Amino acid sequence: MNRPVPSHALRLCWYALAAALASFAACRGSAYAAAPTDANTAAPAAAFRAPYLPSSDAEVLQDVPSTRDPAVSEMKALRTKLDTAPQSLPAAIQLAGAYVDYGRQVGDAHYAGYAEAVVAPWMAQVRPPPSVLVTQATILQYRHQFTESRVLLQKTLSMDRSNAQAWLTLATLDMVQGDYPSAGKDCSQVTANAGLELGLACSANLRSYTGQARQSLALLHQAQAGGATVPASYQAWVQGLMAESAERLGDWPLAESHYLSALKLLPRDNFLLVAYADFLLDRARPKEVLALLADHAQSDTAFLRLALAQSALHSEQVGQYTWIMAARFEALTLRGSDFFGREQARFALQLQHDPQSALDLARRNWQVQREPWDTRLLLEAAIAAAQPQAANEALDFLQKSKLEDPIIEPLARQLRARLNGASGEIK
Amino acid sequence: MRAGAAALIVVTALIFGATVVQAHSASDAYLSLTVDGGSPQGMLVVHGQWDIALRDLDFVLKLDEDGDGRLSWGEVRRHQAAIERYAYASLGFSGNTGAACNIKPTRQMIDDHADGAYAALFFDVVCGHAPLKLRLKYNLFFAIDPSHRGIFVMHDHANVATAVLSPQNDVIDLTL
Repeated sequence: MNRPVPSHALRLCWYALAAALASFAACRGSAYAAAPTDANTAAPAAAFRAPYLPSSDAEVLQDVPSTRDPAVSEMKALRTKLDTAPQSLPAAIQLAGAYVDYGRQVGDAHYAGYAEAVVAPWMAQVRPPPSVLVTQATILQYRHQFTESRVLLQKTLSMDRSNAQAWLTLATLDMVQGDYPSAGKDCSQVTANAGLELGLACSANLRSYTGQARQSLALLHQAQAGGATVPASYQAWVQGLMAESAERLGDWPLAESHYLSALKLLPRDNFLLVAYADFLLDRARPKEVLALLADHAQSDTAFLRLALAQSALHSEQVGQYTWIMAARFEALTLRGSDFFGREQARFALQLQHDPQSALDLARRNWQVQREPWDTRLLLEAAIAAAQPQAANEALDFLQKSKLEDPIIEPLARQLRARLNGASGEIK
Repeated sequence: MRAGAAALIVVTALIFGATVVQAHSASDAYLSLTVDGGSPQGMLVVHGQWDIALRDLDFVLKLDEDGDGRLSWGEVRRHQAAIERYAYASLGFSGNTGAACNIKPTRQMIDDHADGAYAALFFDVVCGHAPLKLRLKYNLFFAIDPSHRGIFVMHDHANVATAVLSPQNDVIDLTL
């Protein structure tokens, strides 16, 4: 493999990882600020460079949110509103919501921190209002602090049993963690407290995880009905769920048409972009991933897909992408940040070609979250590391949940065959 | 639809179900100190480098003058004084006697990290006495983003001390 990154830089980087904080200064990634314009030649700038003075005033150093972006001016207006009435809870909730939403859309965790600061004065109260608890729970969920998030949601519901937002967030949490019976109850509460369409969407989402993808699609069609009053983000979300359900059924053209419809509604939504990129990678269409994500390299999840696409294309730049991705994960480790197992496991498996690390990460991740991608990675890593027994718990989970998925099913079959073969040998 | 507005309020949480993956690392700054082995007698001089993300500085100081979303060196350069004022207001040093040490900014450059370009602030800390301990106080961005972290490292001859500065850990005592 051609590695354009100087090997000394790579060594320094790993040394830094080993020595934890001590030598972070030695481990610098490269700027991607000079955003790649031609997707096919997209390359981050040269790695490892000492502090410097740019040679020209016109040199662009960094992409930042543009004030010409309506979402940015909306946040600014809400900030002004709160600044003029700092005691106003509705103004704080609105601003925090706008931050969370924007951060989610562009894939930037900074905004979760900004939102947290906005609600902090209310969170410091002995009895924070339910709306604040739900906002904080959403922020924690975003950071994968699921246990802490659940505590706040339960506290909210003990104060206000009919809090629709809390039920929705809890339903989400239960689905992410693979507790489908609880999610079913949460969805009933969503129907009771937020209305039929959202209840349908909630149940449909659940059914795509429990072997009922066809019903899921039918329910989503019903949930979609509503007309002009429905916000684009809701429509895009339903389209995204339809794409996922179609993927469960192995109906690739249908899945793609829903991804494209969703992206037409929300062209820069990080989740949709990444999900569609994964779809394209699975269909062996990596070149399209480079074009799709060319302007989104700032998002770590998008950057990982760019690196995977480079790898699938056997590009000369794959070493450089891998190096930068490693440096970004390392920055997370340095700050003592939360664990991003899914991304890290996939990175270890597909870019570092280290099945044992991938398996360790995938197993740890699977204890926390159990969406189909989490299960898939665990199975793939168990196969790659030739440790089928490591997938036992996940195989039981699949049997119980009845997840249907044309990519996961063959992996599970392969592992079961190996496990049966192994137990046969012991006998 | 029962009410479009209701959907608008709750839809964020629902969408989160599918987007619980965090996509971008949160805010970090990198603070590095090196004790000057040749400090004048009875004084302490420490050299510092503080890397602060340009994106974070833009959020508080609006560096992007034309609002085009592309931060140029010219825009950063014209705001260097503001960056300096903002940053150094959130960093303080004192000796074990309680006497404050002065921060003397020396220059600003640009430093590239894996997640973007940072302003690199170089400075000296000068204590007019030779303290046995140096106390560091740090509160950059905490008021607007409690998830900000200061990744700190200090080199004192052969010794290396490290810490992660956070709202819960915003004061550290360094034994010299």
